[in-house]
Order: sequence, then C-alpha cells, then structure tokens
Amino acid sequence: MIMSDNSASSLDASDVAARPLVKMVDVTKTFQMGEVEVRALAGVSLDIFAGEMVVMVGPSGSGKTTILNIVGGLDSASSGDVYYRDIDLAGMSDRELTRYRRNEVGFVFQFYNLVPNLTALENVLVATELVREPMDAHEVLDLVGLADRADHFPAQLSGGEQQRVAIARAIAKNPELVLCDEPTGALDYRTGKSVLGLLVRLKRELGKTIVVITHNAEIGHIADRVVRLSSGAIVELVANERPLPPEDLVW
Amino acid sequence: MVAVLDRKLFRDLRHTVFLVAAITLIIATGVACFVAMRSSYNNLVTARDSYYSECRMADFWIELKKAPVGEVARLGDLPGVTEVRPRIQFFATVDLPTSESLLNALVLSMPDERLETINDIVVRQGSYFTPTRAAEVIVNEDFAVRHGIKPGQWIHLLLNNRRQELFVVGTAISSEFVYMIGPGAILPDPEHFGVFYVKHTFAEEVFDFDGAANQAVGRLSPTVRARPQEFFRQAELLLAPYGVFAKIARKDQPSNFFLSSEIDGLRTFAAIMPTIFLGVAALVLNVLMSRLTEQQRTVIGTLKALGYGHGAVLAHFLKFGLLVGLLGGVVGCGLGYLLAEGMTALYGQFYRFPALPNRSYPDIYAAGIAISLVCAVAGSVHGVRLVLRLQPAEAMRPKPPPSGGAVWLERCGVLWQRLNFGWRLVLRAIIRQRLRTSVGVIAAALGAALLSAGLMMVDSSLFMVEYEFKQLSRSDVDLTFESERGRDALLEVERLPGVDLAEPTLNVACTMSNGPLSRDVGIMGVAANARLTLPRDAQHRPVAVPENGLMLTRALADRLRLRVGDTVTVQPIKGLQREHTVPVTAISDGYIGMAAYADIEYLSRLVGEEYALTGAQLALDRNAEARRRLDRALKEMPAIQAVNDRAALLQNLRETFLQNLWIFQVELIVFAGVIFFGSIVNASLVSLSERGREVATLRAIGYGPWEIGSLFFKESAVVSALGTLLGLPLGYVLMLLLARTYDTEMFRMPVVVHPAALLQTVVTAGVFIVAAHLFVQRKIMRLDWLEALKAQE
Ligand SMILES: Nc1ncnc2c1ncn2[C@@H]1O[C@H](COP(=O)(O)OP(=O)(O)OP(=O)(O)O)[C@@H](O)[C@H]1O
Ligand SMILES: [Mg+2]
Repeated sequence: MIMSDNSASSLDASDVAARPLVKMVDVTKTFQMGEVEVRALAGVSLDIFAGEMVVMVGPSGSGKTTILNIVGGLDSASSGDVYYRDIDLAGMSDRELTRYRRNEVGFVFQFYNLVPNLTALENVLVATELVREPMDAHEVLDLVGLADRADHFPAQLSGGEQQRVAIARAIAKNPELVLCDEPTGALDYRTGKSVLGLLVRLKRELGKTIVVITHNAEIGHIADRVVRLSSGAIVELVANERPLPPEDLVW
Repeated sequence: MVAVLDRKLFRDLRHTVFLVAAITLIIATGVACFVAMRSSYNNLVTARDSYYSECRMADFWIELKKAPVGEVARLGDLPGVTEVRPRIQFFATVDLPTSESLLNALVLSMPDERLETINDIVVRQGSYFTPTRAAEVIVNEDFAVRHGIKPGQWIHLLLNNRRQELFVVGTAISSEFVYMIGPGAILPDPEHFGVFYVKHTFAEEVFDFDGAANQAVGRLSPTVRARPQEFFRQAELLLAPYGVFAKIARKDQPSNFFLSSEIDGLRTFAAIMPTIFLGVAALVLNVLMSRLTEQQRTVIGTLKALGYGHGAVLAHFLKFGLLVGLLGGVVGCGLGYLLAEGMTALYGQFYRFPALPNRSYPDIYAAGIAISLVCAVAGSVHGVRLVLRLQPAEAMRPKPPPSGGAVWLERCGVLWQRLNFGWRLVLRAIIRQRLRTSVGVIAAALGAALLSAGLMMVDSSLFMVEYEFKQLSRSDVDLTFESERGRDALLEVERLPGVDLAEPTLNVACTMSNGPLSRDVGIMGVAANARLTLPRDAQHRPVAVPENGLMLTRALADRLRLRVGDTVTVQPIKGLQREHTVPVTAISDGYIGMAAYADIEYLSRLVGEEYALTGAQLALDRNAEARRRLDRALKEMPAIQAVNDRAALLQNLRETFLQNLWIFQVELIVFAGVIFFGSIVNASLVSLSERGREVATLRAIGYGPWEIGSLFFKESAVVSALGTLLGLPLGYVLMLLLARTYDTEMFRMPVVVHPAALLQTVVTAGVFIVAAHLFVQRKIMRLDWLEALKAQE
C-alpha cells in the first residue's frame, strides 16, 4: 500500500523518467459559489518526479494552491486523474486519504499554522507521533537550526523561526513529498533565503521531492523545473540545467 | 443604525444556534424547575387552605376519657376559642365479606343533620345522613373505593363488642384525613384503615355515651392559634376531672403534619434546584459570551472606530444575552407548567383533596422569566467587560497569539516528558483557559451533586423502610386489644393458627418530665429478649431493653436533657395517673423520633399491675393457607381494637412509594444530564470554534477525525471527571442539608451513602460525557476543514 515504502526515493535517472511520483492528467477544478461557478483549474497535466524540486509561480488566483491541495490529498479534482505512484487519489476513501497525507506528504503552510499551545519541539512531535518511522524530532529541529528554541511556544518565536518549525514538522514524518505554499511569503529577505536554503538541503541531503509555491519569479532559479501558471492552466514549463544555490538569489 | 446591529444580532444567534440551544436548555430547565415546584407548592397550599376552610378544619383536638357535653362546651368560654364541637370517637374493626383480613376503622360522630360544623366532611357519593334510620354510616372514599363499598349497601362494624349493621348512605373525604394515616402509624394505609362517620345520637347509644363525648375539636382566634400553650393549659384545668388523654394542636395533627412537611420540603427544593441550574447556566453563558466577543473583537473595534458609542455596542451584546434569557424563560415556563401538572397529579395520589387542580400563576411565570433574564445578564458580564476594555485601534488588530509560557505542570519534569503531545495540548488548554475550566468543573460538580444527593435520598428512603420493617419492628401483624389484658391473652394469641412467634406489648401513654422540660410520649413495654422489637444504637446494633428503668430514644433524651443514670418523672395519662420517678438505664438511636422502651414486667409494675399487655406482635408462617386461617380466626376473636397488617403495608409501600422513587431517579438523571450535556457541548463547541484552524492543520498533516476528536474528548473528560469527583462530597453536603429540612420531632432522616449511588453518579456522568462528545464529534466530522485552513482568523 501507499504507506509502506518511505525510503524508495531513488535518484536513478532512468527510473525517474519512467515513473513519475505524482502524475496529473488533464485535471480541472471548479468551485461552486452559489449561482456562479469558479473555474480554478482548466485542464492541468503535470508529472512530478521523485527527488526533484518544482517551483510553481503565477499571479494571484492562478490556481497554485489548488494544485497543491489536490496533490496533497486535501482537496479533490473535479475531473481528470491524479496518481501517486500509480494509485489514483480520486479512488481513495476519506480514511485512505488521511493515511496518504499522514505517510506520504509533508505540508508547509503559508501562515505556518503551528499549534499555539504547543512548544516548537511539541509541534514537531505532533507529526512524528503519527508515523511508525519518523525522524528524531530533536534532530529535525537541529536541522532547521532551532535546537536551542525547542521549548519556546510559537508566540515566543519570530515569523521565520515559526516557518522553520513548520518545515521541521513537515519533514519530521519523513515523507516522500514536501509541499510548501509560499513558505517565504511572510518572511523578510534574509529569513526567506535561509528557509529556501533549508528546502534545497532537504532535496539534496535527504532526497525529498519538493514542490514550492511562490509569487516571486526569482525563486524559480533554485528549482529543477519551474511551472508557470495563469488562469488555471500551465503556460510554461522550464527545466533549469543548473539550479542556483539560494545564497546567490537576488530580489 | 440600530437596525443594522439588530440584523447582526440575529445572524450571531443563527451562527451559534447549537450553543444557544445548549444554554437555553439549561436555563429553561432551571426555570421549569422553579415554575413547576413553585406552582405545585401554590397548588398544594391553595388546595389545602380552601379545603381547610371548606371543612372548617379544627385548630385543636383534645382527647378525653369521657366528659359531659355541657362541660366540653365550656371550652368555648376560654379566651380565643371561637367554636367547639364535642365528638365521640372510637376504634373498631370492620368485617367485610370481600376482605379476608380484619380491617381497622376509626368511628367518628357527626351531627345527625347537615349543618356547618368543625371538621366537616365533603360528600363524594350518595348523601349525608337521612332521618330514615338511626344506623347510617358514611365511609371515607378511599376505603370505599378499594373495597367496593357503595351507598345503599349494608356493612358490619364491631362497635363496643357488638356487631352492628349499618346502612351506607354515602362516601366522603375530610380535611382531617388529607393524608390517610391511622393513629400512631407512620405510613398511610388506605387499604386497611377506614374512617366511618356515624350520627352523633347513634354513637351516644352504641358506646353508652349519652350526653357525653370523648373528644373536643375546636377553632381558635388567630393570635391564640399561633401560641396555643396557654389555651391548652386552661383547657386541661377545666377538663381534668374527666381525664385528658391528649392535647393536639393543628401543627401536630398527623395528616396536617405530613402535608405541611411535604409543603415545606417542596419550598426548600423550589429554592435549591433552580439555583443550581440557573447558576450553571449563568456560568456557561459567560463562556459563550466571552467567546463571542473575542470572535468579534475586530467587528467591535470597527464599530467603535466608526463612531458607535460604548453604550450602543454594549447594548448590542447585552441584547444577545437577554434574548437567550427570554427564550429560556418562556420555554421554561411552558415546560414548568407541564411538569407542575405531573407533580401535582403525583401529590394527588398521596394527598386526598376534593380537587387538586394545576393552575397557572402569572406571577410565578413573571418571576421565572425575570430570574432567567437576571441569570442571562449575569452570564454576559464577562463578555461585556471585554467589550468595554477594548480600544478600537487595539481591537482591529488581529488577536495576539495566546500567551505562551510553561504551565506549572511542566515543571514536574519527568512526568510531563512522558506525556504525548495530545495530553500536553489538553492539559495546557485546561490550565490556561481558566474561566472555561472552572465553569466546566463547577457545572459537573453541581450536576454530580444533584444526582448523588438525589440517589442518596432514594437510598435513605429505602433504608428507612428497611429499618422500620426489618430491623426495628420485625413483626408481620400487630394486634391491639381494646383494653389491658393479662397473661392469658398472650396464650390465646399464641394458639392462633399460623402464628410462629407472638410477643406481648404494653403501651402506656404518659407525660415524661425532667424539671420544666416535658413531653407526651408512649412507653412501649416488650418482653425480655424480645425478637420482634429491637431498638438499636447509632451503628444499628440491637440494644437490649433493660430489666429496670427506661430506654429512651436519643431524640427524646436530648429533648429532655437526660443521660443514662439520670432519673425522669413519668405520669401515665390514663388509669391511675400515679407519678413515678424512674431511672434512665439505656439510650437507643434511630430515626423514629420520640419513643421510650421498657421491660414489660417492669412497666406493668409501674402502672400497678402484675403483668399487663395491650397488644401483641406476631411473626407468621409464610404459608398463604395458614394466613387465611389466621384472618378467619381474628375475625372471630373478641376485644381486638386494631389489626396492623405490616406485611401488607410493606407490600403496598413497595408498589406505590418505590415505583415513584423510580420516576424520581429518572427525573434526576435527566436533570443532571441536562447540566452535563449542556455544559460540555457548550465548552467543546466554543473551543472547536476557536481552534478551527488548529483542527484543520492537524487534518492536513494526516490526523483522522477521531484522533482529533479524542483531544476534545480528553479535555472535557478531564474537566468533567474532576467536577464529578468534587460533586460527590458536595452531594453529601446537599444531602445533609436536605435531611436537616426534613428533621422533625417525629422523624430523623438517615443519611445513607451506598457506594452504588456514588458509582451510579460516576457512571451516569461518564455516559453523558461520552454522549456530549459524540455530538461534538459529529461536528468535527462535518467541519469543512479545508475552508478553515484557508480562512485567516
Ligand atoms: N473554496 C473556494 N471557493 C471558491 N473559489 C475558490 C476557492 N478556492 C479557490 N478559489 C478560486 O480558485 C482560483 C484559484 O485559487 P488559488 O487559491 O488556487 O489561487 P493561488 O494561485 O493560490 O492564488 P494566491 O497566489 O493568491 O494564493 C481563484 O480564483 C480563487 O478565487
Ligand atoms: Mg495560494
């Protein structure tokens, strides 16, 4: 089943080419708002391969969050197919979707969404207690550079620190897929960069598959591929031969 | 501008419909309790007062040996006496062909012709006496109904040892017997005890009482009625030559005594129960109102910034509370009316009135709604304070994150480290949300107190029955002879068929005094080593009746300031009335108030006899056929004044009284359930609405709805369990208070605490905690968490 194989992140190129981790085929999404229908996605097809970093850019309302929600099992497509390792997400029950989110996906939210009544460490424990083979919560906190703030509550942390806790929480479950919705949106320049650096290290050192949403086209330079969206459709897909390290970004 | 705010108010109500419903339910229950109990109280008081005035209920009863009617009438000359009626009263037995056992009768004389008289009767069927025959009888309705006696029929009474045939002209009830309790009995027994009204001239003739009477009943002016001691003293002086056996003021008259204590108890309940509910409602409302204001802080800030004054914003929030109060009040009045209907009907089964209608009382409804509004306003205070404190600028900024910091529990180190994040979250929420936690604890404590006190009441009542029938007096049938008899009577009784054991009893009514303190009590003489009467100590262990001297109950000893080793003066009321000074040699405890016991031989000597008995207690063969033979034999036996069938009484008691206890328990559980359920649902929903985003995040991370629900469940379970545990001792205190209100000279209410009652309270609490959580769980399942994830609070 989907929940079993956490360590199958192979970087073997041929395997990657043969078998995308996530495959979206002609996905549409329509929201019903009373009388009017809002078309958020108008036929999106996209393959995401294991171990790559994809950055999605596009103007506000172009459908970035919608894609991320569908891929992350938070929302379902109106039509079209979404496969995770050849398993159709549309065919999953609520319970299976919960298991999918639990074992395969790590989410980083734009507004951190930390549990206010839990310390940084405990916010990570929230995730690790869910799965059978989590990473060590202390180590993950160390990884995001917050080992010394483990006992602080979210209210006692800065925005960037909170976002790093959120990232720690997302990866501590040791998921295959890390989905980040504007992880730098609420952060200043320097903090933003350090958060991005963290994501790049995750990909490189742990072999995670990472999808990052951003408004900021500049950030696209750190990705393996950049997906440009407009009005619910993919308008451009660019592969970077040599992704830049985040330190070299300027915006 | 106000109209817009009102529209907002309406929407607020709609958005919080479940919360409003939960609180309204609690308020409504409180108001319903108040209305139902006050209405039942009024119903009873009104019925009693109008019945008493309709029947010209007496203010005093004086029992005499035998006095000329003219002398009795002189009581009317005493100051404050407005009316006197000499009456003839006798105990008799009834022999009904339809009944196997011998039945007891109280025969009372009434004027030959219908005229307004003291202790009048209300004819229910047939008519008053006619001039046609001398031997006419009117039977009290309950007895007639139970034995199928109808006007136009003849019945046989054994009067003055002569079998008399009387023609039944009617059935009736009287204010003297609202509670159909025989003399000396502690429980009503309408099946085996009937009142028979005969013409006064007829009574004079059969009892050889020409121109004489053995009872005076009369009415007093209000001032004397309030303090009748002086009147009784003068009456005693006046009638002493004719033998004054007993002087009874209305407050001590058995029927009135029981009715009055019921009414007093009802008044106490009408104060306690609604207070609990409305208190809980006010607290719970506080939680909701503070949440509403929190939630709307930006709205409040914006309104203030726009130029709405403090007053307008405040009024807006108060209106919300007032609407809830009004709703609860009105619903409560409606429910209360229906509940009063049921309660009043129940009272009607035990207390016999010509009519006991359930009336509407606008003043009670007004009070109920007013109380409900006050409670609602009190419930809004906390929220309103928040509104007032908010500065517009501050209010419009998003709410600062809840203040962090470790709670004291975390310093417990190792223990804390071993908790998983769920428990840490739960415990922090409990410790940080002080208002909500205390409200939850208090509500659960009150719910548990109410329930456990009620269950203790039930156990105490059951214990009383058990104590009276199985521990104190263990006989199946008690016989009372018409007069004192010798040893031969006991032999005769022992030989009756079906009797396993017969023990003699000698009852001596006397005035017992210690200096200025005195009381009229009956001394009961029992055989040495009696097995059917076993006075007990405080630990319910039997205490042997001493060979010499008297054993007093603790209540009597306290009242007369006597201890073992003291002496007491005893003067029998009947017979030679010689005064004796006797030692107090033992003290027994128990729940039946004033009584004294003595060895039958010692007591016989005290009244100047070698060996005397006035009755016998029988333990019977359990065989039905033997029982029938005994009943037949008793019908043949002369000189029996009363047969007290305790086994049948117990049976009867089990059928009526215990059934009602069951209803009472269900009601209690429902009431407690309203508190538990209402307060938990409210707290959980409020916290769910605050933590929507947290719930959504956890869902996104991969937590299932039940795992998230368990966080909420743990929180309410911990809070409610804590409250329930505190509620148990509180229930005990409540029980002590209730027992005290029922504490009278006649009775003491035992306080019985069975572990089962505590367990039942805890289990009931558990069931309601789970039920409330299932309701909350459903909300969690249905929560649109994706939406909550997007929403920026
Ligand atoms: N729950 C919803 N109901 C109705 N319409 C929605 C809902 N969620 C998204 N939409 C609409 O779908 C479209 C795509 O929204 P989406 O959130 O994916 O945009 P986005 O690219 O993430 O924008 P942003 O950069 O502002 O976050 C928008 O037009 C939005 O209004
Ligand atoms: Mg978005």
